[in-house]
Amino acid sequence: MRERLVQLLIRWLFVVVPTAIIGYVTLTYINFSYTAQSSSIFNQALFFSSGLLIAYSLYFFRIRWVVTFILLWLAYWMVGKIIVKLPGEFDVFYATAKFQLYSALFFLGWIFGFLLVRVKYSYIILFGILAVATLVVVSSTIDISFSYILLHLVPVITYGLYMLFVSPMLVYDVEMDLKKSGRLLIRFSVFVLLVFLAFLLVGKIFTEDLKAVEKELVARGAKDEDGKEREKKDGGYDQRYGLMDKPDKDDGYKLKDTMKISSKMSQSDQLMFCSHINNFFPDGTPQPLYFVYHYLTKYDQAKESFIRDANVPYLDEFNADPSEVSIFHSKQDSSVIPNSLGRKLRKVVESEVYLSSNTWKHALLAPASAFYVQSIPVEKDFQKQFLSAYKVKSYASELNNAYFVYNPSANPMLESFQEERYNELRTVRDYHSVDTAFYNYYTKVPSGVIYDSITNLAKKITTGIVNPNDKVIAIRDFFLDRDKNGKRIFRYTLKPGSPSDPNIPNTSMLSDFLFKTHAGYCTYYAGASLFLLRSIGIPARFTTGFATINRSDKNKGWYWFYASQAHAWTQVYFPGYGWMDFDMTIGNEDQQGAPKPDGTPPLPPPQPWLVLNAMTNAAPDLTKKRLDITFDNMIYFDEKYQLKNPLSRVIDVSMCRVLYDKKDTTLSILSAGDSVIIVSYKDESKAIPRPKRGVAIESQVDDFPSPIVADEIHIKPKPKAEKQDNAKNDQQKTEEKSMTWKEILMLAAKIAGGVIGFIFILPILFLLYLVVKTAFAKNDTDKADRIYQSALYQFHMAGVERINETPLDYARTKVDPALHTAFQEFMTVYLRLKYGKGTLRDGDSEIIRRFASNFGPAIRKSKGFFKVGFNYFNILLASRYFLQSENNEYEN
Amino acid sequence: MNESTQSTSHSSKLLTLTDNIGKIIRGKPQEIKYVVTALLAKGHILLEDNPGAGKTVLAKTLAQSISEGVADHSVASGGVAFKRIQFTPDLLPMDLIGSYIFDEEKKDFVFKKGPLFTHVLLADEINRASPKVQSALLECMAENQISAGDTTFQLDKFFFTIATQNPIEMEGTYPLPTAQLDRFFMKITFGYVSEEVELDIYNNYLAIGDVKGTVHQVLTYNDIIGLQQEAENIYLHPELVKSIVKLVQATRHHPEIALGCSTRGGIIFIKCLKAWALVNQRDYVIEDDIRALAQPVLHHRLIFRNREASKVALQQIVDQEVNRLAKLGITTKK
Repeated sequence: MRERLVQLLIRWLFVVVPTAIIGYVTLTYINFSYTAQSSSIFNQALFFSSGLLIAYSLYFFRIRWVVTFILLWLAYWMVGKIIVKLPGEFDVFYATAKFQLYSALFFLGWIFGFLLVRVKYSYIILFGILAVATLVVVSSTIDISFSYILLHLVPVITYGLYMLFVSPMLVYDVEMDLKKSGRLLIRFSVFVLLVFLAFLLVGKIFTEDLKAVEKELVARGAKDEDGKEREKKDGGYDQRYGLMDKPDKDDGYKLKDTMKISSKMSQSDQLMFCSHINNFFPDGTPQPLYFVYHYLTKYDQAKESFIRDANVPYLDEFNADPSEVSIFHSKQDSSVIPNSLGRKLRKVVESEVYLSSNTWKHALLAPASAFYVQSIPVEKDFQKQFLSAYKVKSYASELNNAYFVYNPSANPMLESFQEERYNELRTVRDYHSVDTAFYNYYTKVPSGVIYDSITNLAKKITTGIVNPNDKVIAIRDFFLDRDKNGKRIFRYTLKPGSPSDPNIPNTSMLSDFLFKTHAGYCTYYAGASLFLLRSIGIPARFTTGFATINRSDKNKGWYWFYASQAHAWTQVYFPGYGWMDFDMTIGNEDQQGAPKPDGTPPLPPPQPWLVLNAMTNAAPDLTKKRLDITFDNMIYFDEKYQLKNPLSRVIDVSMCRVLYDKKDTTLSILSAGDSVIIVSYKDESKAIPRPKRGVAIESQVDDFPSPIVADEIHIKPKPKAEKQDNAKNDQQKTEEKSMTWKEILMLAAKIAGGVIGFIFILPILFLLYLVVKTAFAKNDTDKADRIYQSALYQFHMAGVERINETPLDYARTKVDPALHTAFQEFMTVYLRLKYGKGTLRDGDSEIIRRFASNFGPAIRKSKGFFKVGFNYFNILLASRYFLQSENNEYEN
Repeated sequence: MNESTQSTSHSSKLLTLTDNIGKIIRGKPQEIKYVVTALLAKGHILLEDNPGAGKTVLAKTLAQSISEGVADHSVASGGVAFKRIQFTPDLLPMDLIGSYIFDEEKKDFVFKKGPLFTHVLLADEINRASPKVQSALLECMAENQISAGDTTFQLDKFFFTIATQNPIEMEGTYPLPTAQLDRFFMKITFGYVSEEVELDIYNNYLAIGDVKGTVHQVLTYNDIIGLQQEAENIYLHPELVKSIVKLVQATRHHPEIALGCSTRGGIIFIKCLKAWALVNQRDYVIEDDIRALAQPVLHHRLIFRNREASKVALQQIVDQEVNRLAKLGITTKK
């Protein structure tokens, strides 16, 4: 009995404790990822471990499991009953839920204990369960990286290796001989070290590849499906969103980066965003502006589509991704202002844009010549409707507005405005002063029959007109012309149909539209007018974005943008005034649909008094709800300050919302070194120090309350290495994606190949190890010993396997007859050294030496060099050597 | 120097002994060695096989090789006394031990010593006698003494029993219980000889018969006592002692073995190992000895749960130990 107790103690030490530790580690991971009822990890681990320990001890003494399981179940049932019946001093539901959790953990520990005692190789099952749990936890984390996975898997893998290789031997040897277990422990540490080194090596070799994979995983997720879908859509031109597409499954819709003149288009009524444009006429009439998305300055003649160009002279497009601008922070590109090439009648217009959740959030949608963007919060009640918002400043021309084609004469005030605009623009008479490169770029017309006929048409329309502005108006009037019956020649339709005769080469949608069908949607009008203008020497460009419609005067300055408002139009350049919107698209006379409603504009968001751009010093204290941070720049009452020295402050996070990538999350994902933005709003309940003039900001910071009560914490997403490159078109992206998947496969194959290759060279490495070991023998006895080990291995690998024979029998009956070695002679000496009183006799050294130098050649001579060499790649043969002593186990 | 010459002289004598027996018992060198090992380990041996396999001849030849004449009572000229008892169902203990008979001259009861008072005893077909007789024999094998009435007679320190028995299944037998089998250091099954050896025997049985009569004494009483002494001094490496511990322990924990080996069994195993090493001209024990002796020394001490296990279980345990030892390097010295 006492002996049995000692055995149990040893097993506690070497089997139960490591399992309890790994259970604790795994529970910690799980708790960080999923918030349990009570996150007292220690208590959870305690219940798990006690279950494990009790079960292990009970089953170690061979107590029947049926009985114990029934008893356990009874106990569980009883305790559950009692807890429910307890007087209502504490919340019964909470108690039972907690009880459920703990009892589940206890039971889990119990099963683990049972498995460990009773089931052979059960630790493989346990290892599997733990590894899967860890992987699930790890993969549910937002920020996934190779090193992160590795770090989390290391404890589980170490546990698996330990249980597999070390713990049975430890238990066995401690029972037999304490001294040897120490040596074994050292070997194990060396082994673990080697495993780590191997991991590091793999990491080092494949760093670049792995990073690519990581990026792929982070950026794309499971999107190949979506890619296929998208291709189908693009091919068929059948999608609901017409000019829009969806770059990402999880993302919203955006305007296409390519505009193709195609046979059909459909539209949807989905709300894309709403905006407040702070642009009014002096009398308070709202002056809406079109929202520009991109300028498509390049033309693909074969496909009849407009695409973006990377090299544009004087590009006045502000290329910003508002989703990457941190909250309350801003980004600006002042080069837009000079590049807009016009200073006359310009002003800065501010607008706020609230993006609905189905809008692509990475592109800046703003009135033309935007140069500044600031990320702003959305008021709480509107957060469901609008995911994010930003404020933009545009260097807008006073002559631009959205009334140019729509409502041309509805309002006398607007009509007079248009006249005013024409009068202004009529001052421009020619383009002599314009930069030649710029002029040539924007008046380029492709050669070909179609474009010649367009040029002729343009000349015909503008005969006798000198002034560029009047030429533009003449072209507009061309689209508004009526035939003899007073009916419009040009029509607006979403389904212009296919070219009249697809068999005739050079049929083009564009020429069909201009000369035959006279029916099309905005892309047709914009494309046609673009070439009409360019062919007569007027610089023009194709613009995509959203048409702004002023539907009601209820909320002045607020505009609502639906997917059907996605639009294309032309901008015409006037020296001194810059680019002017000219929307040639004629109104849709057939459309009878009721005007879409405007919604309720979102309330202005609360104003922050303090925004800190900070780094966390440590993980948050979840019990005290405190967070320790260091910051060196901040926004204090809308003023940005850069501090000379970083300061540390404690933040009260008890009332705080935590957002990651604009989505709600919990404090527990924060760890030390994260960059965060801490926002505190102006609020009556807080004592807010007012900024003092003339006082150094550092001393003002000292007056801040401590702790600072935070209302929101925005965790900055880790910068993605791959910036969304908008210039690339969809097709290229799909290609690129399939490439990367191929690369991932290649990488996986490489790693697998490496591992397999490594396994295949293991037998040779072991041989080398033995040979080297033999070479460094200290004395003859030592040498004999090492030769013995080496010879056994080499004979085995030569195909002469020792199966349960004693080495001497093996030498006599197998090795010497098969390989013509003098193994028996050597064995006689060796056995005397090994089991005898251990002194060398005369001639022994000679025998050892002779055998050492002869047995290698003898093997090669008997078996053939290549056959023996080939055997070293026979993993099965080699593994039999290493498993020899284990395969006779009979213990249960 | 002196010791080594003595040991070589003993070794050469051993060789002549085994050679001597080998001339008669053809094709059984292993079995001959077993018998000699049991002799040198101060033990007893049980030969089991079907009748006619040569058990009795072996025993007789051995006895002849170490004693002067078959029926010689005296221990003259350093010879060894040899007695043979044929066990039958009607044999009584007093037939072995002897009995008090009335001496007319002395007018007193005098103990007439039975055939047990000898050095080498051949107990033929031991399982045909009744358990009463068997236990009388086994008592004196274990205690080296004989109790008759109220007197206890001490046997000579050299007392070697070769018992033979027919397989248990045969008719008219009283099987020996395991507890009594335990007294025998070894139990070996003889088995039939191979085809060639049998052919050789048939061709030369006349010549063999001639030799039988002329077996010479090659060892004296003192030689045997000396060899027994020497066997005790054979070196047994600590690692092998550990191995024996594991072996014995393993027989107790093996699921297919109902009764494992006793500690006495272990001690006997060690004695036999040493003697076996000496018989094989070595002054140290090696793992081959364990492999060779496990079956004859340990098998009859174990009770197996089924017939299958009785064939493989011990083999498995020994295999495991042998594999462990084979992997072991030269351990640090003592």
